[in-house]
Amino acid sequence: MGIFKKLGWYFKQESRRYLWGVIFLVLVAVVQIVPPKVIGTLVDLIDTHQLTPQKLIMWLGILLSAAILQYLFRYGWRTRIWGGAAKLERTLRSRLFWHFMKMDTTFFQKHRTGDLMAHATNDLTAIQQVAGAGILTFADSIITGGTTIIAMVIFVDWRLTLMALIPMPLLAVASRQLGAHLHTAFGQSQAAFSRLNDKTQESVSGIKVLKTFGQEEADVADFNEIVTKTIAINKRVNMIDGLFDPAISLIIGLTYIVTIIYGGTLVMHHSISIGQLISFISYIAALVWPMFAIGRLFNVLERGNASYDRVDQLLKETSTIIEAPNAIQTPATGDINYAVQKFTYPGDKQPTLMNVAFTLPQGKTLGIVGKVGSGKTTLIKLLLREYDQYQGVIQIDGHDIRDYSLDALLDSIGYVPQDNFLFSTDVRDNIRFADFDRSQAAVEDAAIASAVHDDILTFAQGYETVVGERGVSLSGGQKQRIAIARAMMTDPEILILDDSLSAVDAKTEETILMNLKTMRADQTTIITANRLSSVMHADEIIVMDDGQIIERGTHEALLAEDGWYAEMWLKQQLSQALGGA
Amino acid sequence: MAKQYQSEWTKKVPLKEQLHIMQRLFGYTKRYKGQFIGAIVAAAGLATINILLPRLLQVFMDRYLAHQRATIQILLGVAVLYGLGVMLKAITQFFQSFLFGMGAERAMEDVRRDLFQKLHQLGMRYFDQTPAGSIVSRVTNDTMTLIDYWNVFLSLLVGSFSIISAFIAMWLISPKIALATAAFLPVLLIVIWYYSSYSARVYRHMREKLSQLNTKLNESIEGITIIQQFRQEKRLTDEFEQVNAEYLKTREAMIRTNSLLLAPIVNLLYTLALVVVLSLFGVSALHSFVTAGLVYAFTTYVGNFFNPMTNMMDSLSSLQDGMVAGRRIFRILDQDEYAPAQDADAANEITEGRVEFKHVSFSYDGKNEILHDISFVVEPGQTVALVGHTGSGKSSIINVMMRFYEFYEGQILIDGHDIRSFQTAELRRKMGLVLQDAFMFYGDVASNIRLFNQAITDAQIRAAAEFVQAADFIEQLPGQYHARVIEGGAQFSSGQRQLISFARTLVTNPKILVLDEATANIDTETEAMIQNDLTRLRQGRTSIAIAHRLSTIRDAELILVLDQGRIVERGNHESLVAQKGRYYEMYQLQNGESVTETADSNH
Repeated sequence: MGIFKKLGWYFKQESRRYLWGVIFLVLVAVVQIVPPKVIGTLVDLIDTHQLTPQKLIMWLGILLSAAILQYLFRYGWRTRIWGGAAKLERTLRSRLFWHFMKMDTTFFQKHRTGDLMAHATNDLTAIQQVAGAGILTFADSIITGGTTIIAMVIFVDWRLTLMALIPMPLLAVASRQLGAHLHTAFGQSQAAFSRLNDKTQESVSGIKVLKTFGQEEADVADFNEIVTKTIAINKRVNMIDGLFDPAISLIIGLTYIVTIIYGGTLVMHHSISIGQLISFISYIAALVWPMFAIGRLFNVLERGNASYDRVDQLLKETSTIIEAPNAIQTPATGDINYAVQKFTYPGDKQPTLMNVAFTLPQGKTLGIVGKVGSGKTTLIKLLLREYDQYQGVIQIDGHDIRDYSLDALLDSIGYVPQDNFLFSTDVRDNIRFADFDRSQAAVEDAAIASAVHDDILTFAQGYETVVGERGVSLSGGQKQRIAIARAMMTDPEILILDDSLSAVDAKTEETILMNLKTMRADQTTIITANRLSSVMHADEIIVMDDGQIIERGTHEALLAEDGWYAEMWLKQQLSQALGGA
Repeated sequence: MAKQYQSEWTKKVPLKEQLHIMQRLFGYTKRYKGQFIGAIVAAAGLATINILLPRLLQVFMDRYLAHQRATIQILLGVAVLYGLGVMLKAITQFFQSFLFGMGAERAMEDVRRDLFQKLHQLGMRYFDQTPAGSIVSRVTNDTMTLIDYWNVFLSLLVGSFSIISAFIAMWLISPKIALATAAFLPVLLIVIWYYSSYSARVYRHMREKLSQLNTKLNESIEGITIIQQFRQEKRLTDEFEQVNAEYLKTREAMIRTNSLLLAPIVNLLYTLALVVVLSLFGVSALHSFVTAGLVYAFTTYVGNFFNPMTNMMDSLSSLQDGMVAGRRIFRILDQDEYAPAQDADAANEITEGRVEFKHVSFSYDGKNEILHDISFVVEPGQTVALVGHTGSGKSSIINVMMRFYEFYEGQILIDGHDIRSFQTAELRRKMGLVLQDAFMFYGDVASNIRLFNQAITDAQIRAAAEFVQAADFIEQLPGQYHARVIEGGAQFSSGQRQLISFARTLVTNPKILVLDEATANIDTETEAMIQNDLTRLRQGRTSIAIAHRLSTIRDAELILVLDQGRIVERGNHESLVAQKGRYYEMYQLQNGESVTETADSNH
């Protein structure tokens, strides 16, 4: 029941809707008493030869109006209550979405996409069940159950009612127990489904390896084994699922048996008429659902409660990135002064950055190189304020970047991330992601600058070609170049390319770098790369290793130094010349 | 493309194709005839019991209660009979649901098995053209839809049984009133027809909106860095809110439709039928005798007549889903993009490992030729290095040689025999390919080296790992060779993955080694290990390598310089440098003299 209280805010907000819903439910329950009563009465009138045309017409008239009223009232509560549930789901989904939008990197590292999706789908479904099926069964059990029992007592006999009700609680117990077992079994079934899904995913992704090693048949055998296990698990689901109807039949059957024996005795003793017995039997049928629903109610509420707590927990998490109270609103431009003594990722023991310091004068280009995991991307992440908790300070134009408003800071930065994520919309909207009002000409300029314009023209629908998960598959290089165009589009004061030229061939890379040089003569650029040719023209290059700067200088100076950079340069030049990758 | 995909659920499948798909889907149920027939028999039995139970009560009322003749024995006797009937009913209910459920489940899993099997018969071309996600979805999600699809037929069957048996029972009581009740059937059919065509549209619309909603949500989470960096939170939220509101609207429409046309209308018709039935009974009671039990039984049958309707109507929406899913499933099963076939009587064995390409030309799509007239010979134990820019045809040579793709011009000979005269299994056994991207499977380290080949012993795995110098880091892992490998082998560095994949190839001891050397930037120590491994791996084997490493190139007996699908220069390193052609140019291109000298002295 606690969940009803937790959702109190919603029921309060939608009080009119729910009030009407419950009123309609009450009306349905009351009208539902009529048909059994009419049947019983007519039977008795026939049985006692007291039926007259007038009486027949009257009772049939009552039945007819009951039919129509029932239809209207049912429509009434269904739209109110189911609609309320749908609306709650929407409200919560909106909240979650907006919450996601505001959360920081730490949050998204803690919760994986799949988990967040599960919260936004499965958990919301469970919660909306409370506002729909939960409210319905709660009200229905009390109202319909109550009215029917009252009708049984008034129109038939209180002793028979009492006797017949004895097996009824078993319905609630059965539905609760079976429901809980089904839930568990269903969970296992879902897990089995996931395993099948993962297996298929892996085989399709690794198809080349499987072919290379001639493992097709063995892989099929492995799949079939998983399928066999899945069948065994689903057998349990089918078994439990198949027990629901028999359980109802048996318990209701018990009630009928009580009615036959005790009701029959009452008829024999002239305490009730046959017509009343017939009405009574119909009333039993009307009780099945409310009683069964009580058991279901517990399961709905339990699951809804657990889901609500999970979602609530999620919503209570706060971003560690907080805007300063009197944040600077003017766009961040100027020299970058980076002086981080130490940064450790939340939850890590080893620091990822140690004593990283450099000054990047406005309009200059900085290159950052080093092997995978040396801290290049982390360095960038701090600049983007994905993490604020580090020792040291990063300044732009003499102000701590944490003193700028997020708008002022981030609007000045154009960022091309490593994974060059594109949205599933067309190429044009991907490029003008920051501002949908930009013209086609502006989009094309950016595409030309990032050397992807010609590629786009070869797509079937040109700039209208849809990319992303459901669209055409682009090569890694094309994605990277579109991501660069997207960042160029805002003409940012500071452009950051985070290993975003890795899939572009050497010639195109050179074109892009040349374009950047001419177009961004007075603006700051930071390039991280594995391939040294990406940074060779930078004003300063820093070489990272294990979170520290181990070499720094211009390309020429670093070559002369004969350290890591020089060694790498040599190796890459040869490989590039011969392999061309 | 995207629009097509999204609206596939909304598109109508032509009737003729529907019948065809239905027929094929039903083909899958044949193997489980026993279970399905059992379920149908149970359903028929259930319908009969549902007729007999009210009949029992009718007799009880009319014979005994009405005439005050019900002794305690009779009361107990009726109760016992009724109790037995109920137990029988419970049993038939269980078997109807369970047998059908299992039949459907097994038939569905057969579809899955067929699909998976089929996938492994398809060639690489198919996988190039089809996104992995959509293939996976065919095998798992679409097949899942089939269960609901088959269930439609169960509910139709159960419904018809119930309706027919109720009608017969009513007819036995009063043909005239039974006919009057049956007069509601056309009305019901109209309601069903209207509901199914109307709700199908609403339902599909709702489904599409939901899929849009989840796509947007998923994408916004995955792209959150971009959204935040570009300060587009507000716009994305607005867009999301719009879809969210649209989805709510379609859901409300669905609720309205169901409230107007589903359970409430069936209930309305049922009560109207009661009015008709009771008025007819009433009228005849005005001048003749009608018993109480008769009225009771009849009104109960009216209930049986109408009850299954809601369920039937509700399940109809799965019919179209099943069609769409079936269509997509059969599109894979009918796919003829097969992996290249070998000769029927292929029986040659690879003993030497001599490879020869004779005037091989090749294209992926039959239009744009990628390889032109490629000829070369690699003698047993020799190495040929393929050098050239991206798109020059290096990978295509490997793809053709590995029989990933079929070629139609020229000949590839192994030990002097046509490559098609070897069984695929023989080729796979004797030719080892090391891919640039070392794919890791879920499982443990040992299973990643062994794959499914149980003939490989643990000792062999250890020996292979030691040989490629992977043993050191593997033995540091918790569980060592049984250390779990998570999705994609994410816990290993790319260098470590590369070493494991070397071990995977080495353990099969291939005669011919095909290498697609990784260019990935790996730390210096691993790089040195890889260099060393490559040299050792090639020893005593014929090797064909897409070379990125100087060591491979310098050791190669033959270097083929490729450009736009042609071999433009051939020879060993010294002769090619002396030739002062393209290789020399490439070699010189971005290194000054000094660099070349360093490279030489390095060697």
